Amino acid sequence: MSDLANKRILLVEDEVIIAMMLEDMITELGGIVIGPASTLESGLAFATNEMIDGAILDVNLGEGNSSAIADILAARNIPFLMATGYGHTADNVHSAPLLQKPYLINDIEQALLSILQS
Amino acid sequence: MRGGPIGTDHMQTDEVHVSDGDPSFRLIADSAPVPIWVTGLDRKRSFVNLAYVDFLGCSYPEAVDFDWRNIIHPDDAANILQQSIDGEASLKPFTLVGRYRRGDGEWRWLSSISNPSRNAHGEHIGFIGVAHDITDAKTAEIAIREREAQLSAFINQATAGFAQVDLDGRFTLLNDRFCEICGWSREELLTRTMQDITHPDDLKRNVPLFEAAVRFGTPFTLEKRYLRPDQSEVWVNNSVAVIKRDVGTPYGILAVTVDVTARRKAEAELRRASESMLLAIEGAGMATWEIDLSTMEGPWSPNRFDILGYARTDNGRAPFDDWLARVHPDDHDRAEAAARKCFAEGAPFEIEYRILRADTGEERWLRSNGTMISKETGETPRFVGVSFDITEKKQAEAHQQLLIDELNHRVKNTLAIVQSIARQSAKKGTSPEDFAKSFEGRLAALSAAQNLITAELWRPTEMHKLINTCLKPLAIGQQILIAGPTATLGTKTAVTMALALHELATNAVKYGALSVPEGRVKISWSVSEKRKLMLTWTETGGPPVKSPNHKGFGMRMIERGLATEFGGQVDISFEPAGLVCKLKAVLPEMQK
Repeated sequence: MSDLANKRILLVEDEVIIAMMLEDMITELGGIVIGPASTLESGLAFATNEMIDGAILDVNLGEGNSSAIADILAARNIPFLMATGYGHTADNVHSAPLLQKPYLINDIEQALLSILQS
Repeated sequence: MRGGPIGTDHMQTDEVHVSDGDPSFRLIADSAPVPIWVTGLDRKRSFVNLAYVDFLGCSYPEAVDFDWRNIIHPDDAANILQQSIDGEASLKPFTLVGRYRRGDGEWRWLSSISNPSRNAHGEHIGFIGVAHDITDAKTAEIAIREREAQLSAFINQATAGFAQVDLDGRFTLLNDRFCEICGWSREELLTRTMQDITHPDDLKRNVPLFEAAVRFGTPFTLEKRYLRPDQSEVWVNNSVAVIKRDVGTPYGILAVTVDVTARRKAEAELRRASESMLLAIEGAGMATWEIDLSTMEGPWSPNRFDILGYARTDNGRAPFDDWLARVHPDDHDRAEAAARKCFAEGAPFEIEYRILRADTGEERWLRSNGTMISKETGETPRFVGVSFDITEKKQAEAHQQLLIDELNHRVKNTLAIVQSIARQSAKKGTSPEDFAKSFEGRLAALSAAQNLITAELWRPTEMHKLINTCLKPLAIGQQILIAGPTATLGTKTAVTMALALHELATNAVKYGALSVPEGRVKISWSVSEKRKLMLTWTETGGPPVKSPNHKGFGMRMIERGLATEFGGQVDISFEPAGLVCKLKAVLPEMQK
């Protein structure tokens, strides 16, 4: 857990109840939650302006998707995970690892550690 | 004939009797090439010439005494004997025609003319006869008659009709079959022309051919219709030739006529059947095509040109390569390999592939099935195939996949929501019983919201409906006042709202206004012209309110969740009279 300690993790998830859980999980893992952003607009703002170590992006944001946020993160060399309820990998942007819903806290930890180390 | 003048001369010189002893008469008679004889009233020959003797093939004396009745052909005997008796009795010249056996045994046709001879006093003294051998003429006549009979039998027994017309087209000769075919009697036809009974529409083709036949002797074959007396049509095939005189000038036109109505009808039916088949196939959206492997091209159905975006060709044929050129580059090799395998091995050709239309470049999906035929009949191997456009089916499949993906997404999302609710409900210090109770209550709220959304077919949900649905399980309708204008919420917002309402209601039932019968809850809202929503949950009449020492999931759900979801502001205040929760937000424009 110490590896994620004080890591600043941006959460972009439009389903507030899920976002609340993710928030709890990141906090439990010792990380600091940036956001959570529930819209593309706020997600873009956080991604552009905040100090961020890593991010978890829900692929689907209501009417749109989060690829524009992914573009900014990729440009800033910030690693991120793509969270999806879709079973296939077409959502895979910038070769980001996929995180399947519903979430297991151990999976989130492992996935975050792996992108933060590389 | 020749005997006549001789006899007359002789009679004029020898008054008493024909002087058969006269050497000059004998000389003349013997030099004649035809038998000549002189008969007396006693019916005995007093003179025969050399040709007479030669015919009988015996000596002179034998010839003189010969009874010619012995050498008459049995078939002619009765006739000749009777005519002979009658002729002699008439005392006038008479002619007998019949067959006689020559000395060598051969039957010869003879025409004998007997002239009565008289003496100087005009008294009848006998007959002078001359016989002409007419065997050759008779044989030729018989041969002609037989040939005519044969020809006539042939013509009249033929299944074909024969009609002869003059150079103007007037019927001059007809057989029965022709009359039968065209339905007119012989008498009617002989007063008409072939133009009269030919269908007017066919006459245009007929007349130039007829005129060329008259002018240049050009024969022709023509299929045309005759009009019967009842105006019904009969299709005939006429082979027409010109009849010429020896000098070469034509004097008639002969047509050999075959009734082809049945054949035409069968052809028309076949054509109709084939057209119906084509219509059915095209109606089903199928295009057909063939490839002659010797030329690598073949006929295409018109809609195949349309499907591929080509202009239809005049002869309705197109090469294999034209098809291949339209196959999508990604499917090209696969499609060509399948076709070649079918050509080479007869393997059934079954493939779904994309094409790029020649005219618009549009991508379409086609399914083609084909097979090789006629290999066993010795014809050139032929490929026959059908194609149909399956673009819609492919799109439907893709759409279905999209729906399945979306469903999967929603299920996973819902599972994540349930997961979140479970985690929030299982905070430290919660007994399993309390966990179960709060978790189940939240699940029920989620489920109710889901039901509502599903019932609305994922269209925006109306506020009144949502609130009623969420608070219904509490069965405390009389303690709750709901007041506000019509307002619609998106599906995701509705779910969050439902969960928040559930938390507020649960809190009110546990600790607030709904924990006592006299407590009241008022839910009221207003929506401004700028879609500003102001919603207030006001509790009154409950037990004294105290601020909780820690905020559980419920409060977080209401404060954070609701605010985030609406992109607005949520305030919860624990007033002494009861809890008050205010939501301020701007409602998004609702799409239909």
